Amino acid sequence: MRTALPALFPWGSRRRGEPEPATIAAPAIPETTAASKVLPKFLAALSHYASPALLDLGPVIGANVAFFGDRLACRIQVEDLYADIEAQARQDAADGLWQAISKRLTPHASASFDGILCWDVFDYLDRATGQALAARLASLLRPGGVLYGFFGTTAVELLHYTRFVVEDQNTFRQRSYPATPVRRNVLVTRDITRMFDPLAVTESVLLKTSTRETLFRKPAG
Amino acid sequence: MVNIGKSVIIKGELSGSEDLTIEGQVEGKIELRQNVLTIGPNGKIKAQVFAKSIIVQGEVHGNVTATERVDIRDNGSVDGDLSAPRVAIADGAHFRGAIDMQRQGVKADGKPESKPETGKAAETKPATSSSTSSNAPQQQPAAGLAASSGR
Repeated sequence: MRTALPALFPWGSRRRGEPEPATIAAPAIPETTAASKVLPKFLAALSHYASPALLDLGPVIGANVAFFGDRLACRIQVEDLYADIEAQARQDAADGLWQAISKRLTPHASASFDGILCWDVFDYLDRATGQALAARLASLLRPGGVLYGFFGTTAVELLHYTRFVVEDQNTFRQRSYPATPVRRNVLVTRDITRMFDPLAVTESVLLKTSTRETLFRKPAG
Repeated sequence: MVNIGKSVIIKGELSGSEDLTIEGQVEGKIELRQNVLTIGPNGKIKAQVFAKSIIVQGEVHGNVTATERVDIRDNGSVDGDLSAPRVAIADGAHFRGAIDMQRQGVKADGKPESKPETGKAAETKPATSSSTSSNAPQQQPAAGLAASSGR
């Protein structure tokens, strides 16, 4: 059926011999500094806990450990999902990605974290894996807990991962490092809201970089 | 400052009241509650580690607890949980586990901290087990350090 469509609707197809359209590649990001409007809210939400438990889904960044430790005197569990994404992408085995992520998160009991730092991990996941991860993260949050993440809004080929290095509560630096190219999974706001149900979006800010910075909260009780 | 050379392998419990640098291998438990422990670039530790301050330049498999600070330097590697009021992890370091940075004094395994004893060993157990690699002479722990097999 799919092969017959161009014959029926020739105006919608490429001419024979026409080259494939060039893939739009995400520009490499030199280290940049960006303002955050949502991070202060994330910190404020955790500041009333004596010693909150954080789950960081990004690579270990010493500056962030020091920052969150100083600010929140917290317990931080680091689970670098980008490492799993890269390992699966190199093997070209997207089917195994959820198994790898699930295995990594299995040791953590439900409702064991007050805050989760997702960074932009969902940009690198296909829809099904993203859906499964969102549900798992929602279960890992305690009631009243918060989840912080970025969602790209442009469908581009991602050629790098980004380390988000927190400088202060209003500013972070973005450092890129190479990735096996993957098409960004763009989620519209409605999809994000549904995906993270029962978490509620409490802050959502579109940054100049066309990235949506979002804070979710798990309803108390 | 005491140095455990890179040919030395210790299996058991290591404790003391002097600053210590480990370039060899230790399996078991290390306790230097009032002192600085440095795990050198050649150091390979499979142990629970307790010290006042810990600097990691080599490899550690096990939980690391410091009453003041843990510092994982470039090329240092820790697979285990960290517990200290201050933690520094260099960009090139490897770490996998959890980090507990509660502000109140860290009390490893829930025991109250003992008062510092300066100038003498905290424990006086003789070194009963300290195995070395085949081509190296056996090295006794220096004064102020005690190693026990724990078996």
